[in-house]
Amino acid sequence: MGASARTLARCGYGLISSRCAIVLLDESEMSCTLTLTMLISLATSASPPPSAAPFVAGYDRFFHEADQQQELAGTLLLGELSCVSCHASEDATLAPKRGPRLDGAGLRLQREWIQRFIAAPQVTKPGTTMPGMLHLGLPEETDRVLQALVAFLSTQRKPFPEFVSTAGNPIAFEFWMKGNHERGRTLYHRVGCVACHEPDNEFDAGPQRSPDLENLLAQLEPDEIRELGLENASRPIRSVPHGDLAAKYVRKSLTYFLLDPHETRPSGRMPSLKLKPDEAADITAYLLRGQNDDPQPIALATDDNLIDKGRRLFVEMRCVNCHDVKDAMPTSLATPLAQLDISADRTCVASPRDGLPYFGASDTQANSLRSSLAALKSPQPSVPAAPDAIHLRMLQLNCYACHEREKRGGVGPQRRRYFETVGHVDLGDEGRLPPPLDGVGQKLTGAWFKKVLDGGGDIRPHMFVRMPVFVPKSVASLPASFAKADAAASIPDLKTLPKSNALAEAGRSLLDMGCVQCHPLRGEHMPGVVGVDLAGIAARVHPQWFHDFLLNPAELKSRTRMPTFFPNGRSGVPTVLGGDVERQIAAIWTYLSDIDRQPLPEKLAGSKVHNFELIPDERPILLRTFLQGAGTQAIAVGFPAQVHIAFDAESVRFARAWRGRFIDAHGTWFDRFTPPAAPLGDDLVALPAGFPLAVLADPQDSWPTELGDNSGYKFRGYRLDSDGIPTFLYRFDRYEVEDRLVPASGKQLARKLLVRDTKVAAEKQVVWFRANVGKSLRPLSKTACVSESGLTTSVSGDTSPPGVLRSASEDLTEWRFPLDIEQTATIEVEYKW
Amino acid sequence: MVSSSPTKRRLAIVFCLCLVTAIFQLASSTPVRAADENDYYRMISIVTSQAPTESRSKFWKPAPDGLALEVSGLAAVDDRRLAVAIRKGEVWLLDGVYEDPPNNVTYKQFASALHEPLGLVKRGESFYTVQRSELTQLRDTNGDDVADEYLTVAKGWGTTGNYHEYAYGPKLDGEGNLWLTLNIGMGIGKEQQARLVRDPALGVAQAPWRGWGMKVTPDGELIPVCAGMRSPSGLGANRAGDMFYTDQQGNWVATNSLHHMRRGAFFHHPEALASMSLPGSPIKDINRVPTGLPLPETLKRFPQLKPPAVWFPYKKMGQSATDIMLDDSGGKFGPFDGQLFVGEFTLSSISRVFLERVDGEYQGACFPFREGFASAVIRMEQGTDGSVFVGLSNRGWSSLGTAAYGLQRLVWTGQTPFEIKEMRARPDGFELVFTKPVDLVPASDTASYAMGSHTYTYHATYGSDEILKQSLSIKQADVSQDGLRVRLTISGLREHFVHELQTPGIRSRDGEPLLHPRAYYTLNRIPRMSSQEPGTNGIESCEGR
Repeated sequence: MGASARTLARCGYGLISSRCAIVLLDESEMSCTLTLTMLISLATSASPPPSAAPFVAGYDRFFHEADQQQELAGTLLLGELSCVSCHASEDATLAPKRGPRLDGAGLRLQREWIQRFIAAPQVTKPGTTMPGMLHLGLPEETDRVLQALVAFLSTQRKPFPEFVSTAGNPIAFEFWMKGNHERGRTLYHRVGCVACHEPDNEFDAGPQRSPDLENLLAQLEPDEIRELGLENASRPIRSVPHGDLAAKYVRKSLTYFLLDPHETRPSGRMPSLKLKPDEAADITAYLLRGQNDDPQPIALATDDNLIDKGRRLFVEMRCVNCHDVKDAMPTSLATPLAQLDISADRTCVASPRDGLPYFGASDTQANSLRSSLAALKSPQPSVPAAPDAIHLRMLQLNCYACHEREKRGGVGPQRRRYFETVGHVDLGDEGRLPPPLDGVGQKLTGAWFKKVLDGGGDIRPHMFVRMPVFVPKSVASLPASFAKADAAASIPDLKTLPKSNALAEAGRSLLDMGCVQCHPLRGEHMPGVVGVDLAGIAARVHPQWFHDFLLNPAELKSRTRMPTFFPNGRSGVPTVLGGDVERQIAAIWTYLSDIDRQPLPEKLAGSKVHNFELIPDERPILLRTFLQGAGTQAIAVGFPAQVHIAFDAESVRFARAWRGRFIDAHGTWFDRFTPPAAPLGDDLVALPAGFPLAVLADPQDSWPTELGDNSGYKFRGYRLDSDGIPTFLYRFDRYEVEDRLVPASGKQLARKLLVRDTKVAAEKQVVWFRANVGKSLRPLSKTACVSESGLTTSVSGDTSPPGVLRSASEDLTEWRFPLDIEQTATIEVEYKW
Repeated sequence: MVSSSPTKRRLAIVFCLCLVTAIFQLASSTPVRAADENDYYRMISIVTSQAPTESRSKFWKPAPDGLALEVSGLAAVDDRRLAVAIRKGEVWLLDGVYEDPPNNVTYKQFASALHEPLGLVKRGESFYTVQRSELTQLRDTNGDDVADEYLTVAKGWGTTGNYHEYAYGPKLDGEGNLWLTLNIGMGIGKEQQARLVRDPALGVAQAPWRGWGMKVTPDGELIPVCAGMRSPSGLGANRAGDMFYTDQQGNWVATNSLHHMRRGAFFHHPEALASMSLPGSPIKDINRVPTGLPLPETLKRFPQLKPPAVWFPYKKMGQSATDIMLDDSGGKFGPFDGQLFVGEFTLSSISRVFLERVDGEYQGACFPFREGFASAVIRMEQGTDGSVFVGLSNRGWSSLGTAAYGLQRLVWTGQTPFEIKEMRARPDGFELVFTKPVDLVPASDTASYAMGSHTYTYHATYGSDEILKQSLSIKQADVSQDGLRVRLTISGLREHFVHELQTPGIRSRDGEPLLHPRAYYTLNRIPRMSSQEPGTNGIESCEGR
């Protein structure tokens, strides 16, 4: 290893110029495998092209020409190159990015890679902001330093955090070993990685529409593009390099890094994309697809002297100034920033001398740094203005990779095709690209803005790309800065309007006329509609913005698909609130502010029920369910005649009847907590309670009530006839019963019981049929009576009218008939109510 | 060494990189891909829902892609058709399911209006399914492939309306009985309390027969057999015709488990004992349930408590065991004929189980088998060609995978995976049987093996840690002449401990590593030493035909 690391250390900075290649080939003692790994690593780093200059995304994109805001550019570089880690400065805008925490390096990195990287950062990972430290040492000494540093790093073994797999959040055992690189490839190109990192041009992002802007750009000549000020939009944006990951990481460490990048990189330049463990494992499998075997992390060093030496060097070389480790703290700083000599010809930026780190900055970068350092020497406003602070922070965190603001940034033209909607629904660019941030301070409430930055603001389920989570301290000031920069007016809050149900009701009717065509509400939506759910909008946006946006959407959001419902400031709905635009907008706001308690707009309520309402149109529909009034073993039967019944298989009887709409099956079919269903229609009536038949020794005996095996009843199921009408089957004592209840004319019900004696030879029993029961029953004729609930029963068949009307108690009157069973008996009953 | 100008340096770097790129291109070759499960068992998707859905959301809806095939029961019909029960309460006949790719599957609704049927078998010309409150026979009396009789075969267990009171089955045993299992209710509401039975001494209340396994005889008699189940979502008979069920980790259940259902056995969950005094209960006189003790100690104090035949160590072998399927294909499904396969909900996978009888009681080992299904595996059915239909649905809980529900088919590719086929207990260790001959050198090296053992705490808490852990030392590894068997001599075996074996160093004669280099043996009993034939006394393979 020693020789090759040394070679790299040299050729990395070209100090032995063209001999480098010869050395590479001539060093015969060089390990062959290592050479290959090394070469692979270099060859597969697709971008940036082999310029060794540190890559800072915001700088590369916006300050590529020497005349652009050099002072700001230099400020950006001072932070991103972590200058202040060694060159102290009080200026908070220059806070150093710093490097990754290395307290877990021993479990996370491969030995060969870390050696090569320390030896020659810019060669091992082109574009890195890590400076070289070993470029001018004697080869043997370089090697000793490397061995010691790696020995020290091998002791840095902070364990991986524990992820708990639960029923709600399943995690596969050793999930990091189970990634699928195809799925990972898809995720990598979908969830947002390629906003910054290199996409695979071969990846099929789906059916391509022609985004407006790309169409336009494709048709324009370069000078036209310049004239139209579209240079930024057309300029290719280079990718943030991630180096040779396969040589650097093991599967577990990269998976854990993707799950929580801030754990090892507290600078937050790499944000968290809120990956689930299996997703992180999939992306890892994709990124490490070149790994053949499962490589191991650095083995723990055993030579205590070497470890001690490594720790000492780690401090002396000021590695520790940028990298947090266990058991070491920074002890020394370099010349304070403000005292640096900007005219020096040997600097760590571009042309180092012995003992200085070397960043390999480009000439442009060096100039930017000089401008900024020069400016530091003149008196400065200590706190930058809000717009500048936002701009700087967006440059640092590369927000511009996704978001446009003040005509800067946004997803680059070559990357736009990877931003797609779920199901490839065409919602225009605003439906697939991250939103522009112009005026966002005026739009979002501070609380919601904070929630979005904290990772809790996912309201665009139709977009694959995710809003990442940044380190809280790096974004904490943004809501306030945006509010200030965008002059969020302190306007009267529409929420202070008196809560008025009439106003909300008007709002609800207005939603029905427009909004619901494109927006879901509380998860309900018109068929095929995908978009932002309007529930919760009152907590998300300022009322004034809502008001202005409704009045004229395009003025606040160019190219939006949101139509105006108030063309020329006039309402298209003169019938609601007298067509008063202000009151209509207030009504919509009032309704949406109270959406959790308000009924859904009619069209959505209809659509919701329509999904799962059972509508018997040609044949009866059955639903076995928990049903209010018919118990936990109910069989509901809906008839096309719009009279419906429910049989209770536990108490073995018809229990309920109603008219109109039948039933909503959603709870029975799909709700985890299986709420009892409820009849949807009208005229609900309880059919006579208790068992229909009983064997009574004495006519005055009370009617049996005990359920279960001792009742003598056994439900045996049902049979469907060719029209789909069920006949319920049960056994009672020694009798088989077929019981059928169907609609009769006038939306009434007709019942037919067929009772068959299975032991005709046995001694005859007196079987009673209880036709009606209630608190009080009023006879209407010999064969009919009505209960206090309004249920009239008429009886005919093998019964003997007028039967017995018996008051069992103050609360219970029964109408019973003895049955005449010669092998079989038939009872016919009509129910009217 | 003297520095040159920055520009020159960068030129030099460019040169170096170009050169190494060229070298790399010469040296590059296709990377060798490690074998994976897909090389041996191919997954064919017949239907999977288009989008994963937040399965616990109260707004849950099926994906808008037609029939929501949330599979809850599967029954092979003939060489073309498969009957599929779905959770919303229907049975469908799918024709063309054996085609590959299955581009011409047709659907015919056979039955509807069933109350969350959670199983399906075909016996004679009828289908049988367990609904929430009854075992139902579905008959088509006029030959139009639509059921017109829904006959109640047996009912009588309690149904309060609580969502967790799932009823699973049926499955057929060797004697023609239909078996079913009943979940414990959880979070039973106030208005549901009146439907409960209670055991005042134990202070438990549940609806009648909740937490029980029952069988229905060919005459339609419903017989309570065994109790103490928590969430027994899978049943299945082995080749001998004995009936098993799986339970899922939770309160009283230390981790997922496989049990032999037999008369009077009590397994985990004391709330099932609310029904102990009902007529027909084969369990009597449990007055006290010891809690908080390690399992081996609990078993001494609680004689009715029967340990599972197999524990599935949590996470390592899944998080929620489901269906049980016997590979009865005579080798058409690969080298595991006669073994049991167990579905896994949360991790969307299938495990494999080897069972043997020691002193008349079943015990054995579990192994990872196949993962990566599109959703929670809740039902499995072997088709007429030996391939396995896998029914998926994750509603109400969550699972790995890309879909909320679906139907997939697992087909053996004809390639034999290098696996530990059997793991048998011996008085002084274990015997491993491999699917292919092993390479003698690593297989004879005791360093190629690692074994640890643990047991669990029996308590009301949700799940148990692995407790009383120990590493065991492998004293000797003897390889049989044919290379298919390895006898491991191990000291420190403990009864009622799970013995976890890792075999990272083992290679086949062709140099392949094991597809799954781990196994977990639930050692309820250590076989006794016999003087005549060492290591076989008291052991009976339950795979014999």
